[in-house]
Amino acid sequence: MKMLRNFLDRMHPKFKNGTKLEKYYPLFEMADTFMFTPDDVTKSGPHVRDAVDLKRAMIVVVLALLPTFFFGLFNIGYQEDATRTILQNFMVGLKITLPILIVAYGVGGFWEVVFAIVRKHEINEGFLVTGFLIPLIVPPTIPLWMVAVATSFGVVIGKEIFGGTGFNIFNPALVARAFLFFAYPGAISGDSVWTVVDGVSKATPLAVAASGVNTSAIDLLVRSNFSWLDMFYGFIPGSIGETSTLAILIGAVILLVTRIASWRIITGVMIGMVGIALLTNLLAAASSNPMLALTPHYHLVMGGFAFGMVFMATDPVSAAQSNAGRWIYGIMIGGLAVMIRSVNPAFPEGMMLAILLGNAFSPMIDYMVLRRHIKRRQQRHA
Amino acid sequence: MGDFCIKKGHDLKLIGKPEKSMGDAPVSEVLNISPADFKGIVPKLLVKEGDIVKTGTPLFRSKFYPDMVYGSPGSGTVSQIRIGERRKLQDISIQLSSADESLPLQAYTAAQIGKLSAGDIKSHMLKTGLWFMVRQRPFSKVANPDSAPKSIFISAMGTAPFSPDAEFVLEKNSGGFQTGLSILKKLTSGSVNLVMGKGTKLPALTNAKDVTIHRFSGPHPAGNVGIHIHHIDPIKNKDDIVWYVDPQDVAAIGDLFNTGNFPKYKVITVGGSGVTNRHYLKIRRGALVKDILKSNQVADDVRIISGDVLSGVKTKPDRAIGYYHNMLSVIPEGRKRYFLGWIMPGLKRYSLSGSFLSGLMGKQETEMTTAVNGSLRAIIPFGQVESVLPMDIMPTFLLKSILARDIEEMEKLGIYECDPEDFSLCAFSDVSKMEITEIIREGLEFMEAEG
Repeated sequence: MKMLRNFLDRMHPKFKNGTKLEKYYPLFEMADTFMFTPDDVTKSGPHVRDAVDLKRAMIVVVLALLPTFFFGLFNIGYQEDATRTILQNFMVGLKITLPILIVAYGVGGFWEVVFAIVRKHEINEGFLVTGFLIPLIVPPTIPLWMVAVATSFGVVIGKEIFGGTGFNIFNPALVARAFLFFAYPGAISGDSVWTVVDGVSKATPLAVAASGVNTSAIDLLVRSNFSWLDMFYGFIPGSIGETSTLAILIGAVILLVTRIASWRIITGVMIGMVGIALLTNLLAAASSNPMLALTPHYHLVMGGFAFGMVFMATDPVSAAQSNAGRWIYGIMIGGLAVMIRSVNPAFPEGMMLAILLGNAFSPMIDYMVLRRHIKRRQQRHA
Repeated sequence: MGDFCIKKGHDLKLIGKPEKSMGDAPVSEVLNISPADFKGIVPKLLVKEGDIVKTGTPLFRSKFYPDMVYGSPGSGTVSQIRIGERRKLQDISIQLSSADESLPLQAYTAAQIGKLSAGDIKSHMLKTGLWFMVRQRPFSKVANPDSAPKSIFISAMGTAPFSPDAEFVLEKNSGGFQTGLSILKKLTSGSVNLVMGKGTKLPALTNAKDVTIHRFSGPHPAGNVGIHIHHIDPIKNKDDIVWYVDPQDVAAIGDLFNTGNFPKYKVITVGGSGVTNRHYLKIRRGALVKDILKSNQVADDVRIISGDVLSGVKTKPDRAIGYYHNMLSVIPEGRKRYFLGWIMPGLKRYSLSGSFLSGLMGKQETEMTTAVNGSLRAIIPFGQVESVLPMDIMPTFLLKSILARDIEEMEKLGIYECDPEDFSLCAFSDVSKMEITEIIREGLEFMEAEG
């Protein structure tokens, strides 16, 4: 360890201003602060600082994603052949997911480094999360070149053109998924993309629930042998990381205990979803749309709702940034997700669009909150 | 009058809390005065090197307010005057003589004090040099004697790490305190707000007259005067002026009027994990840091801070402790680099986020260093900053308006109510490692110059 430290200290002058390698300083900085915490001391007060930094915060998010990642690996194999052992299923999943993960990190990391060098800023840790999110929100059958294209789109158009991490309006991983959804709908929706066995099609519970007239979504699910518990545990077809609500909730606990995710947003999304779902339930009898009958606890465990609520809506940069705004933003996303799911037959998966809409509205929500805050201050001072 | 319970904030639990006992008073041979302590004052020297001065002899005056002079805190010879860049006066050193001679100052009886007008009080304080004890918000500078404050604040509680206990300090020095309060009452048409902690029992505080008593409780910064002003009598605009005085200085002002004695001493605390004797000390005003620390073993590679570890300033052994500071904090410099710090469990790392294992075990007294613990990043609003600011102010948006130099927006978001020290916990907890206190300071300086 001492040797490594000495080596990095010897390398440091080679990347200083005015040297040939100057422009690659961001790469050195990344390696250096990856191995050891920085030795900067405070220049002015406060003289002491919290131990947390962005690296730590982002690693905590990755940690929170691990339960759903590992369950996702297992579930890929399980959906293919339910009779194998857990380890075998797991290995099948690993063989499929690892290449996707490597492509997402490789391509995204490449863009991150290019922009860091051109813009002369440090490499931002936000990509640690984006690169890990992308494999979790795509189907296991996704071609690797699509992952590469979508990641490039998500990182460059979704983030870097706005100025990089901290300046983006939309969540870059969701932008990548939305890109796939609209550019290559055949690869990310329909019944045949969820299992890796050729020619076998398995519909997701969401597709099943929407596929009938004059009946209720819950009846349709029962007829297709989807029990609520199976969906809660995650033994269903779906995107790699978003099937197990249980694993996602474990991640939610980690994010909430560490105060990385805003509890206001998560609670808001739940309130919005429950509220609108109960409303659609009331209307269900008068309509032939089966989705209207879907009760809140089913909404929670189906599709990308839970994953989006815990890992996507809570992205602090693209969410609303005021406490009151976070409530409004959360409620809006939860409500919109149910509305898109139940009322619009073209988009069975409403969560992605709901969050993107929430992202688009969050600056406006903050603006509203800020004006109200100013008005209140003026009244208090009058 | 009111009880205020502050919810947002945090009490740092640091190793090195001073014990509640008086150490042996350090002996000073040299005193040092730095006019840079006085914000808003351009000093004009009134002495030169080699001059003999008595306690109370004017050393410099304010350029724009010629009646405002600063009296020497001791008697002896002006041994050194240091001039910095652009002929800016840096500091004045006084070599103390063995005999202590003071300028004769007038003493007043209680009946006389009762008859003094605001003008009499001001002119007496100005010419004796005690006016510097009175500061104003907005901008935290020396009060303009011609301004009319809507109220005056005395905050007799400290919540910053290693703060002296106001009761412990005033207990031995409460003689002049009531006189000081009565004098200040004459300087404002509004009220003198005396703020103390919920548990305060000292009669000099709880039975004080001519004041409105308020009690605050909760974590730091619940003891900051900026927080008290915000909750009791908020500043609405640039010309909405509030004055504030430190309780020890209130007692000093009272003593001056009662006895004609120029204040020569103050009580401070010495704390932090960089020193072994952590205690209260009665020091000469202007005493050098090295004299204060003479009886102490100071560790190697430490930072000596005049004031508390959050809002104080870095100082050196041959400088004096700041005029408005009553703490000396010594903590280790944090140049140690931790291997793979971003993934280690972090049992001994101190964090308000729960992202280290230490967070699961409750907060324990920790040794903190001056390490930044990370590098500067763009604003990522995790919400930590909001959770330690007990004010009706939206910090993230205020910071953005300051960075954009948007005067109108800064005013609307309450820049005049702000002081860097109230935002020091925000800077402490910020994940992006932004210099939030510096941004607030810049914003205030910008508003003062432009607004």
